[in-house]
Amino acid sequence: MSALVELREATRVYNGGSARAALDGVTLEIGLGELTAIMGPSGSGKSTLLNLVAGLDRPSSGRVVVDGADLTNMSEAALARFRRQRIGFVFQFFNLLPSLTVRENVLVPAQLAGMPAGKAEARSRELLDRLGIAETAGRFPSRLSGGQQQRVAMARALINSPALVLADEPTGALDSATGVQVMELLTELHREGQAILLVTHDAKLATRHAERVVSLFDGKVFDDSRLSRSGAAAGDLVRVVGQEVQR
Amino acid sequence: MLGLLAEEPLHGYEVKSRFERMLGGTWEVNIGQVYATLQRLERDGLIEASGARGDRNKLAYRATEAGRREFEDWLAYPDQEPQQLREGIYLKLLLASRTGDGSLDALLTGQRRVCLQRLRDLAALEEQAQRDGRDDLVLLFKGASFHVEADLRWVDACLDELARRQTDRRTGGDAP
Repeated sequence: MSALVELREATRVYNGGSARAALDGVTLEIGLGELTAIMGPSGSGKSTLLNLVAGLDRPSSGRVVVDGADLTNMSEAALARFRRQRIGFVFQFFNLLPSLTVRENVLVPAQLAGMPAGKAEARSRELLDRLGIAETAGRFPSRLSGGQQQRVAMARALINSPALVLADEPTGALDSATGVQVMELLTELHREGQAILLVTHDAKLATRHAERVVSLFDGKVFDDSRLSRSGAAAGDLVRVVGQEVQR
Repeated sequence: MLGLLAEEPLHGYEVKSRFERMLGGTWEVNIGQVYATLQRLERDGLIEASGARGDRNKLAYRATEAGRREFEDWLAYPDQEPQQLREGIYLKLLLASRTGDGSLDALLTGQRRVCLQRLRDLAALEEQAQRDGRDDLVLLFKGASFHVEADLRWVDACLDELARRQTDRRTGGDAP
């Protein structure tokens, strides 16, 4: 099986409240090394899907398999282990620990996963260098710009060489120029073979960087589009029209 | 055209090619239309011949003082033309909802895919314009992307409405 993520009729109904499922029979496969965007308005089921794939939640019915691990009936402890070792998280608001330095923040998941200290240090240096923030290693998150904080979060997400990086609105708290830089880094990681699941409500962001856009609507997969680099010429896409030539 | 001729004297073919280059290939101009317009602008005293006929009998024109004023007036006023919704999708949607044969869903899904692919293609053009140092074209393609985003939101709003009507019908509510 070449799929990294496999959902089969995955449904999640939350107790007490509406009968409507937050996720309603979703079947979806995501391949190794894909950069897939999950798009949809708020309430469409994006977060629920993300939580299931991340092992933060389990489906009410159906099946969720990620990187060969069947999460459907896994114990809490096993799910926690799975998350630490196989999933890297990048959140909208960075979620760095304010009392730890950049270096310490990046090392946390490695320590939790039991990586030998020397190896973890080397890997964290390599990642901070790779993401262009080596000089911030000894600083605290509050001393960094939003773009730098998000890079720290990316280093932290990558330290255990996860099978899948989940990026939940990773540019949502950044200005547009910094957002573009962060997305370019994610795209570069993807080119190097990292599977990334990007969750966003931003169509421009999704289509610019992902080759596949899965649209959710009312808890269901409403569309699954594979986009190409069509190389269309400007004149095939845009026609400016008006009377100005007559003046 | 007045704007280009206010910059420097140009002959008809140069006006056409410079105009098209400025628009990055998004507006093709008929050379016959260019010559007809040049004649009209000259008749109205907004441009004048610049020097004698040159190579292959070509005549260059430049903007007159009146022409420059006209151009500056045009620049100074915001565009108040009615918004143009020329895409066939609007007509198709209106007609499909009147015949009510259930093809709306497929129509909207298809249109949505076109919008997504178009956003990706426009992003590629924007990046290329950026690499070429054409900041003016970057803005043009950004503008086009905003329009596609608006179309996408509109398609989503139509889908929302369609889903609401279907739910109303299932639950026996009164859909309009």
